Amino acid sequence: MADAPLVLVIDDEESMRDSCAQILDKMGCRVETAPDGESGLRRVREGRPDAVIVDLKMPGMSGLEVLDAVRGFDPQIVTVVITGYATVDAAVEAMKRGAYDFLPKPFTPDEIRLILARALERRHLALEAERLRREKKLLEDNVITMVSHQLRSPLVAIQQYLEVLLAGMAGGLEDRPKEMIRRAGERLTGLMGLINDWLDLARIDQGGLVRKLKPVDVRTVIDKLLEFLAPLSAEHGVVLAWVDRPEQPVTVLGDEGSLEQVFTNILHNAVVYNKAGGRVEVRVGEEEGNVKVEVSDTGIGIDAEHLPFIFDQFYRVSRGEGGKAKGSGLGLAIAKKIVEAHGGRIDVASVPGEGTVFTVRLPKAALEKAAR
Amino acid sequence: MSATSATILVIDDDPDFRRAVTAILESAGHRVIPASGPEEGKAKLLAERPDLVLLDIMMDSLFDGYALCHAVKTAKEFESVRKTPILFVSAVKDIAGARFGFGEGTEGLSAPDDYLDKPVKPADLLDRVERFLAK
Repeated sequence: MADAPLVLVIDDEESMRDSCAQILDKMGCRVETAPDGESGLRRVREGRPDAVIVDLKMPGMSGLEVLDAVRGFDPQIVTVVITGYATVDAAVEAMKRGAYDFLPKPFTPDEIRLILARALERRHLALEAERLRREKKLLEDNVITMVSHQLRSPLVAIQQYLEVLLAGMAGGLEDRPKEMIRRAGERLTGLMGLINDWLDLARIDQGGLVRKLKPVDVRTVIDKLLEFLAPLSAEHGVVLAWVDRPEQPVTVLGDEGSLEQVFTNILHNAVVYNKAGGRVEVRVGEEEGNVKVEVSDTGIGIDAEHLPFIFDQFYRVSRGEGGKAKGSGLGLAIAKKIVEAHGGRIDVASVPGEGTVFTVRLPKAALEKAAR
Repeated sequence: MSATSATILVIDDDPDFRRAVTAILESAGHRVIPASGPEEGKAKLLAERPDLVLLDIMMDSLFDGYALCHAVKTAKEFESVRKTPILFVSAVKDIAGARFGFGEGTEGLSAPDDYLDKPVKPADLLDRVERFLAK
């Protein structure tokens, strides 16, 4: 902070405003004052002060309301409240709502100086941390692209050799080595999937997908995936189907590729963790301004103890007999991050032995005709 | 063995990938000209006039696979080999999002004639090659 810090004092008593201003001015601060909450907030918006000192007890808008509004506008602005009769309750409430400190009346110039100096120091540190965080993010951005290329290239070369060996193009192979090479290839594919998932997560964490939102008809996404997953569901003896496919487009504002990934991950799980002869049903509807997509399966279900964690990275429900947990343990974490990046939410409900329902809610696209 | 034998230029900066792909193509009786980058590829394309080009996207230099493909499809210098089919072979598409919409060139770049993901399935690759040679 090269400039002198800007401090806004909001108090209905003129004498209080003046004395605060005098003390702060001597500390080397720039000071603005406001006699009530409304004009104070206007100043906050226009001047973006570093710190706000606000009297809790004012006619009109209360100090707590001002506090909330300031924090809502910019939580980095440090706030100090002045409490009239040193009521601990009011001070505690203010601190709970994010005030940095409080000044019980009457206070000495030293007290206000001390508290404000600390408050400004805190803000300085917070801003510095924020700047470092941003710098790190920028660095990570490049690292991800680089890492992605460098990790994948050697794996692709190995996979390519294995393909050639398996096809017998480098000479015929006995059954045993051939089987081992096939297994090695599968493990490599698994590793590649893990790396891809991890890179996806890293990219979503950077907010990289929110840039390219456009109207997407959820029905066409589901149509495509039902077709894409048909061989997998046939292999598992599972019926994967729409229930009451809407006749009109159901449009959200989203990134189509990412949304495909969300529903691929959910549908894939629903098929793979199902019973032979089971069903996976997809329902799409609208609910309070949201598009709601429900995927229900008749699978083995998820125990209540696991439910709170299934969206966590690398969390995998250990499966008993025969049921083998495949995949990276990142699929649902990715789905959740993508849905949340779209301003939506994902929920799960499950009855062990009966099945699981995943519900994705995405904000409905505004009523501009889905121009595509 | 395929019915026809072709000369195929493989442009890729990964020597192991070139070697593996060469084994696939040679197993079907094709002749392979390897090139380790766009510059070498450009020279060999003009000098040897192959029947088909396998091109990696190799984005580490400004003159990358995209640029070479675009140049072949548009630049005067490549007029004599303009019709040579170009097959992109890359692992890039699914991670970075392709810079071309397939069939139409976007961002002012000409699209290749076809695209294969790395690692390529030997049968897929040979099948594509056959189809281009039949044209």
